[in-house]
Amino acid sequence: MSDTKTLGEMLTERGVSRRTFLKYASYTASILALPPTAATAIAQGIANARRQSVIWLSFQECTGCTESITRAHTPSIEDLIFDFISLDYHHTLMNASGLLAEEARLQAMADNAGKYIVIVDGSVPLKDDGACSTIAGMTNLQMLQETAKDAFAVIAVGTCATFGGIPGANPNPTGAVAISEIITDKPIINISGCPPIPEAMTGTIAYLLSFGSIPELDDLGRPKAFYGEAIHDRCYRRPFYERGMFAESFDDEGARQGWCLYEVGCKGPVTYNACATLKWNGGVSFPIQSGHGCLGCSEPKFWDMGGFYEPLSTATGDPLKWAGGAAIAGAAIGAASAALARSRRNKAIKAGASKPSEEAE
Amino acid sequence: MELLEFARGPVMTFALTVFIGGMVFRIFSLFLMWRTRDSSAGSSRERSSFSAALREIIRRLWPQAAYKQRTLFDLVNGYVFHLGLAIIVFGLAPHILFIKDLTGLSWGALPNNLIYAVGIITLVSLIAALVRRFVSPPLRIISTFDDWFSWLVTFLPVLTGLIASSHLGARYETLFALHLFSVALLLVWLPFGKLMHFFLVFVTRSQTGIQLSHRGAQL
Amino acid sequence: MRRDNAAPCIKERATGMALSVLAEVGRMLENLAATGQPGFVDLRSLPLSDADRAQLETLLGRGEVQLELELAGTSEVWETAYSGAWWIRHRGAGDKIASEEIAVCRIPELLISHPADIKAAASRLRHELETTHV
Repeated sequence: MSDTKTLGEMLTERGVSRRTFLKYASYTASILALPPTAATAIAQGIANARRQSVIWLSFQECTGCTESITRAHTPSIEDLIFDFISLDYHHTLMNASGLLAEEARLQAMADNAGKYIVIVDGSVPLKDDGACSTIAGMTNLQMLQETAKDAFAVIAVGTCATFGGIPGANPNPTGAVAISEIITDKPIINISGCPPIPEAMTGTIAYLLSFGSIPELDDLGRPKAFYGEAIHDRCYRRPFYERGMFAESFDDEGARQGWCLYEVGCKGPVTYNACATLKWNGGVSFPIQSGHGCLGCSEPKFWDMGGFYEPLSTATGDPLKWAGGAAIAGAAIGAASAALARSRRNKAIKAGASKPSEEAE
Repeated sequence: MELLEFARGPVMTFALTVFIGGMVFRIFSLFLMWRTRDSSAGSSRERSSFSAALREIIRRLWPQAAYKQRTLFDLVNGYVFHLGLAIIVFGLAPHILFIKDLTGLSWGALPNNLIYAVGIITLVSLIAALVRRFVSPPLRIISTFDDWFSWLVTFLPVLTGLIASSHLGARYETLFALHLFSVALLLVWLPFGKLMHFFLVFVTRSQTGIQLSHRGAQL
Repeated sequence: MRRDNAAPCIKERATGMALSVLAEVGRMLENLAATGQPGFVDLRSLPLSDADRAQLETLLGRGEVQLELELAGTSEVWETAYSGAWWIRHRGAGDKIASEEIAVCRIPELLISHPADIKAAASRLRHELETTHV
């Protein structure tokens, strides 16, 4: 349940000073790629905000997104976000409460009408009237439509919720769709990635709390602060790409030297995410640094992008599947046209048969 | 992303299908035509067909002294963009990977930056060729749709390739998709227009060489 | 474990970024002296290798003031050898560097006691005086 006190008042009572807010604000400004001077505004904004009611809906997902955001570690500024939000419903975490959890959800919606944020991970199946995924007897579709009705904003977290993800990949047996295809009358922020970088999720929530508005989004609805640049443009292995120094297979000499992974299928050039700058696990590493090409996990339909180990410059599918047939057809038409030419010539020769022929057949 | 997947998938499959079908069609329709047989006795200087063919091909790589001055521009500019195209197509790593995926063949790549430099030179050279065709009265008079269009479908991949590599003007995946569309257009047109000379020039020059050798012409 | 933004292959090498940042700090310091306007450099957003960071720290040096703060994890603030140029290093979970900046100002806002904190402290002290030291 959310408090009527401001966050500033609430945390002061708990012994968290405004100075700590400022430290948190500096950290948040940095990951949002805002100038350091924004820290004051962020600190002020959060202190004056009320505890944000958050309803988390989990649909067709693997729980990786929840895992990503809830890494347990000693209380630190990265954890402060959990003091700023009131996680009023999360059916995976509230599993043991049974139907009481559903009651909590409805209560939170009523208490905070027009002000709560809905965070969704997982895609929504539409086939068979949505019967493929149900919670407490409601289909995902019903629950989403019911819960989003009075929400302030919807944050779709993870590639499943933002673009359909793995359930939506070929052949999409459950008719899975992205949240943005169902909710069209509320602002939706897409935090894509499989899973998304935790700071992308927490930084966006912090932005909403501080400024009360949606951050600048790209044309796929993703915050430009995290998805504004391609991995390729920030990749430390880029100089090797430019010089044409590629690892040709895993663990070959080039791979050991840390050369570009284009030839083993890296999708960095067409993937927009903050992996190359923010990195994972608090800045430890990211796939390319660990020697594996980027999967393109923050892009729509990345599972169907032609294979994780196929370079971007290859044709996808089976491009030569009709080559044999085409060759036979070409040969037949070619032979037919030659035969036609020959028969016309023979006719012409017969027509002029009175004249001595200069050429023999 | 949808555009890129369309370009890499159905578009490339279609282009390669038409290219292969078209190439086979042209070769069959040409080689199954009748040939003029020369029943005269061969000259004493006649060489083997293979030797005569090869010598003619090599001889025609360079013009005869009498014609060199008049054709100097076409000679030099022609070599510049032909060699440029070869270096670009067969030297850039992503291109080699494309070919490797289709045929299994691969070879070492050249540095990307070198290819970009060659690309700019080739681009300028192709524009020079276009200007020449337009400005020279006899060339303009005899130029057909085939000439202009063949130039365009050769020019566009070089242009779009350079734009995509420089990430100019739009998102990379859009620029890359445009490059693939231009290559698909080239593949589809190639068997049916004057670009077939890439293959036929060897056929026709061989034939000329054999015929001349039969007559005892000095090669 | 230290966060580094640079590649493993150039972690040990100085790339010259330290000198670039130093020049930026110099400009900001001149501006502060002339107009009183503060400036900030967010070090976390720059691709600094370990060697670059070490070089920058050495170049800026340490001055008369060094502080350690406990704010949901430790933070270190020190005035560099150049008056007005402060280095702020915030550590988060597992003592990793969460954010780092150079603040060119008279004093970083972080060090000044916030009015809301003062108000809360005043009421706390009042309560303490009333209950124990009558």
